[in-house]
Amino acid sequence: MSSPFTGLLGQLIRHRGVSGCLVVGERDGMIVEANLQIGVNGNAFAALSSSLYRKARRSALAAGFGEAGFFELTAEAGRVCAVGRNDLVLIVIAEPTVNVGLIRVEMLKAMELFA
Amino acid sequence: MTDDIRALSDQLAADPSSLAFLPLGEALRRRGQLDVAWKVATRGAERHPQRADAHDLVARIAIDRGDFARARAEWETVLSVAPGHAAAQKGLGFLRFQQGDLAGAAELLGAALAADPDDQSLATALGTVRAAMLDGDRGAHERETAIIAAPTGLPPEAAHDAQDARALFDEILADQPQTALLIDRDGYVVAGQYLTADGRDLGADLAAQLSGVSDEAARAVKYLGLGAWKQIVFESEAASLAMAPGGDGVLLVATPRSVPLGFVRRLLERCVMRARLWLETGE
Repeated sequence: MSSPFTGLLGQLIRHRGVSGCLVVGERDGMIVEANLQIGVNGNAFAALSSSLYRKARRSALAAGFGEAGFFELTAEAGRVCAVGRNDLVLIVIAEPTVNVGLIRVEMLKAMELFA
Repeated sequence: MTDDIRALSDQLAADPSSLAFLPLGEALRRRGQLDVAWKVATRGAERHPQRADAHDLVARIAIDRGDFARARAEWETVLSVAPGHAAAQKGLGFLRFQQGDLAGAAELLGAALAADPDDQSLATALGTVRAAMLDGDRGAHERETAIIAAPTGLPPEAAHDAQDARALFDEILADQPQTALLIDRDGYVVAGQYLTADGRDLGADLAAQLSGVSDEAARAVKYLGLGAWKQIVFESEAASLAMAPGGDGVLLVATPRSVPLGFVRRLLERCVMRARLWLETGE
């Protein structure tokens, strides 16, 4: 059975260096749909990444910068990109060498699905 | 709600007189749940008025809420209960510095550093305060003598030259409407500033609101096994924000939304290098 997000996640996971992509509830960190390579702990990424995105969004609001858009965390062993709307967050897990510019464009385009 | 917070909440509910309010209030503060943290901490301090750490927690939450008067009162209470309390001296020192009382700030930060010599943020802050003091009315020779004669044992290389820390990134930022702040692990601004159109410095407010993001990031990468975090970049309606570890805290850059993200990253890298040089050599 496919959801409105199936095609989107299928496109994102095909990018070189992407190891997982998820649509997650921002408030509860629960996975709505995910497309993950074997070995990626989807539940942990969903919970922690959505919490991090929520924190960034609230901090930006509190600081007077308005609603948050694209978010990216770079660490030694990987990247986490996120963008959200209407209590849903689209998360992409990737290697450090991934083409972030391309991923960002696709994620921002995908926000139309979240409207 | 994380498991830690849930467990501490349960512990406090089962025994309201327990000291669980201390880690619980701190965990809530770090998560940015300031209203709940405030209730937990103030109730705890009321139950345990002789505990310095309870008043210190209330003071730090008050800072995050922008209530500097209450923070000052709480830290003064800490010092009355536990004279020489390093965290209280540090907090009061930063408050004095923000008010322009450089001599008072230096005295308190010096005492705090003497109590906690390993706190690099204190050495940095004290160097900044002393440089600001000496820059006002002394010559280079006197400055050097005073730094060497510092009673706290601060090594000369840790004391900064007479450079205004607030202007540390001005050369990199040029005249563009962009901001860089070096924030210590407690959320205090060590260098840089965030000036509004009417000339007010809102750096402390910005640091208090945004420093929690890096705490959350550190927690996330730890549990996800991603190694140390290197950079955070996020866009908002009005600004693009970028952060990276700097000193024992975080370096934050904010630019207008119109600035390309690639440029924001480059700006962040240059500011990190500038801050590193300043922290290591004072130049």
